[in-house]
Amino acid sequence: MHPFSTLTLGIFVAGYITARWDLVTRLYELAIFAWDYGVVSRAAKGFAVLTFVFLAVFIPVQRLATLEANLHDGLMRVFWPADLPRSNLKGVVVGWRNSALDVFVVAILDEVEPRNVESALKLGTLFRNAPHPVSRIYELCGQSSLYVLGLSNTPETVEIDPSWVRVTTGPGHRVPSVSCARASSIQIILFERPLPGRMQYISLNPIALALGDKQDSFRNDFSESGEEEEEKQERLNKKKKQQLVEKLKDHSVIKHVPSAKERALAKIVNQMNWAWELEKLIQKNVSRIGTRPKRSLSVSERVVESATTMRDMALVWLWDLMVVYVLPIIRRIFVLGLMCHRIAAEMMLRVLEWRARPRYAALKDISATAQQVEIRLQQFCYWPMQYVTLRLRKNDWESVTTSHPDYIRFYNSLWLVANDVIIGIALGSYIIDNSDWVAEEISRLLSTYTVDALQSSISWLMGWPAGLKLNTELAEFLGDLFLWVIDYWSSCIETLHPALPHIVSIIGFSSFAGASMPIALLSDLLSILTIHIYSFYLASARIFHWQLNILISLFHLFRGKKHNVLRNRIDSCDYDLDQLLVGTILFTLLFYLLPTVVVFYLNFAIARMAIISLKAVFDTMLSCLNHFPLFALMLRIKDPRRLPGGIRFELRDTQDFRIAFRDPPRQLPSTSVIYLKSTPLNFKAMFHQYFQMGNRIRKHYLSPRVLLCLLTGEFVPPLNRKNLYSLQYSMLPARRAGVMEMWDAVNSLPGPKRRAMPIYVPALANGKRLPSNYAGGRSRSYA
Amino acid sequence: MLTTPPHLYIRRPSPTTAEFTVTTCPPMTIPLRLALLSILAIRITVVLSVIIALYSQFFAPQAQPQPPQPLETSSPTAKTILSQISPSTLLTLLQTLQLSAPGQSLSRLAAALPTWILLLISSALLYTSLLLRLHTTESVLVLRGLGIQTSSSRGSNTRFIPTAKIQDVLINEAFKGFEVRYYLVVVVEGEEDVVVVFPGLLPGRRIVEAVWRGVRGCLYEPGPGEGERGRYKDGGIERW
Repeated sequence: MHPFSTLTLGIFVAGYITARWDLVTRLYELAIFAWDYGVVSRAAKGFAVLTFVFLAVFIPVQRLATLEANLHDGLMRVFWPADLPRSNLKGVVVGWRNSALDVFVVAILDEVEPRNVESALKLGTLFRNAPHPVSRIYELCGQSSLYVLGLSNTPETVEIDPSWVRVTTGPGHRVPSVSCARASSIQIILFERPLPGRMQYISLNPIALALGDKQDSFRNDFSESGEEEEEKQERLNKKKKQQLVEKLKDHSVIKHVPSAKERALAKIVNQMNWAWELEKLIQKNVSRIGTRPKRSLSVSERVVESATTMRDMALVWLWDLMVVYVLPIIRRIFVLGLMCHRIAAEMMLRVLEWRARPRYAALKDISATAQQVEIRLQQFCYWPMQYVTLRLRKNDWESVTTSHPDYIRFYNSLWLVANDVIIGIALGSYIIDNSDWVAEEISRLLSTYTVDALQSSISWLMGWPAGLKLNTELAEFLGDLFLWVIDYWSSCIETLHPALPHIVSIIGFSSFAGASMPIALLSDLLSILTIHIYSFYLASARIFHWQLNILISLFHLFRGKKHNVLRNRIDSCDYDLDQLLVGTILFTLLFYLLPTVVVFYLNFAIARMAIISLKAVFDTMLSCLNHFPLFALMLRIKDPRRLPGGIRFELRDTQDFRIAFRDPPRQLPSTSVIYLKSTPLNFKAMFHQYFQMGNRIRKHYLSPRVLLCLLTGEFVPPLNRKNLYSLQYSMLPARRAGVMEMWDAVNSLPGPKRRAMPIYVPALANGKRLPSNYAGGRSRSYA
Repeated sequence: MLTTPPHLYIRRPSPTTAEFTVTTCPPMTIPLRLALLSILAIRITVVLSVIIALYSQFFAPQAQPQPPQPLETSSPTAKTILSQISPSTLLTLLQTLQLSAPGQSLSRLAAALPTWILLLISSALLYTSLLLRLHTTESVLVLRGLGIQTSSSRGSNTRFIPTAKIQDVLINEAFKGFEVRYYLVVVVEGEEDVVVVFPGLLPGRRIVEAVWRGVRGCLYEPGPGEGERGRYKDGGIERW
């Protein structure tokens, strides 16, 4: 302050005090009064209390608040479509804001004012002319609206909202540089947008090629029919593992509560699937934001537009005529025909599924042909329902991905049936053309392998095979017995011989219904024509088993022991001399007779095993024809992004990225560039069901239990057909829709859309008009 | 010299993202590069000689040495040969190679061996030279807010586990042979099997512990108590 003005101020104050001296004395008195009555001490106390409160409450609260604000440690996550158009123009970044520092970029709108974009987003201008309801977007993307997320290519000088991001991008930059006032480190996650028009999509979990509701119902079936040993073992193992998993849960010391960012992943995957369609829609409507330079149409353009309008109107009129008068009739007739077939199919299915008692086998459990017919009928019943669901897909946005597995399943089964029929026609025409030769060949094979080979092997066994001295009398007895039955059987087959060409031609005709039909018929024919081998196997197995049992108990007697049935253990026992003598003699006799029985048993067991493996080959062929993931394999080769098997991330080097952005003077926050890629479904998952079936067959037939059964002559149970065919049914729902349900579904289909007028008819040819692509979706643009 | 015991590389472009790679590949120096190149050359020679031996044994025209015709094709420069590659030229090239001196000795050797031994040896050689990899690299990528991804060069399979499904990350010990191995596992919610990180290499305890600390620090946001910010410099590549 200037010394002179200080002097002036001093003179003024001194003069004022002398002029108002009584005010000063009053103040002095007041001070003395206050001192006398303890005001000062009280004020000091109050000050102390306030200071304490400030120190103890306000400062910690403020500190906590800052900590809370920085809790997300400034990590910003930006999802950025790698195939977003890159331009040097100034733009507004629009997208979803999943949480404060978790943004998902949908589009960059060039050359618009952020203020206008915000108001347009609020008013919904950007979603004008949307082909389907807009609320569906918000519902599936899990957000209530799009936001302005930031600005692109704006100079540093422009002040922006602190929560907005500043993006620098351009044609030369593969990765945008992003900064935000609030973020201390940034993850840029780049992804290629899946094209919804091509049914590409991204998913966290592998796409399910089989219908999911099967496993439980099959499990239930097993628990009803008395589960097998391996199944039980498997279940027990699973239970044990489940207990271990439960125990492991208790080991986690710190329970981490997932934050909003971590829970958002499923939503973000949906947003990625929507990104393409949404961007297209928004870019189409950008012209509605703010004022843009507009141009009226030239005269020639107007002439062209009027002419095309005329043509379009004529076309629409013709189309309407078709839709209103002709199409409903065709549709009606088709639906009625379909329903008739459906009712017939229902009746046949009832016959195939009929069981005399609940626990008895139905026809489809016994015969492969019945099973095949049943699968085809079930598929026929399921197709209309699938088609209806797929048709309803058209009434929704293309980005809704829930029905894509259905699509793949539907076309896979159609393809398989078509393939089956094509192969079947080729096979059938060959069989019919050469039916005599085929019949001749079949009868020759039958007589060689099921009669002659068996006869010669039995006669070989009767005459001391391989130098093995068997008991001649017993061998002759058994051999004569079997030979006699074989003779009888071969005469039966002889009577069948003239009918064989007819049977073969029937098989040939059946193969026009698919190559799987003759295979199933052959499988059944094989089991009918080898029934004698089956019975021989049963008989010899019985004899062998009895003899073995008797030998074991006599061996106990030989040692002076016996089997205590009540306690299920071996007790010692005092036999009399005559008991011991007779038992030992019998033991010796039976023991020496055992090899003879064993060789006969082995002979038939091997024949039986050969037939079982032949039938297994047939069944494998059937399951390949009925269930091979053909369509999925083709898709995997053609467009792997249609079969998503999960996602994977790649961390990119940030060195080159930093060099590219060295020129801007500002300090970029520490940034990691991550690429998100969709991994296609691997082949193992595609053939998962085959592996499962193979495992089941292996467990059933190649287990030590089966070997034990074979050694002791017990009957080896064939694999449960239901078990084997769980694979084939995995394409079908557990419960088929009834006739009425199908009727309702077919009738619920929306009719073909009446096309709206293509574009509005120009009322006045003069005046200022907007370019025709202004109107968005339905109008055409001049290319 | 070609491989080292498994060691750890850490890439950490920002404190919230880290990739831990365990590899048996030593740092690339010039001698190592030369050695790898020579191994590649040896592999190519082995594959070529196996092909020539098989060709001479099974597909070569029997007992008609035609020196003039193949020699013609062998005389032009490599450029013209490259320009006219077709199955027939490849076949003539193969024939030329077979008729050269080492090719002749190879075919004599192949003729001396019984067929099944030849097939066995050639399949073993092809397997070692085509399919065997020298180095194994396994890595785990930790992205805060997203999850953990394990990947392996063997079979090149990756697995991504979202954070919401991660129950715990812990070090466990197991007996393998006569030693105790420490390994890192990710316990996934709702799954029966835990996911073992670095399943093929199973690196030692020091590395596993370092990775565990890194994963714990990187995966979850630090609570108010632990200020871990600024402990790591960005863009750093650390080596263990």
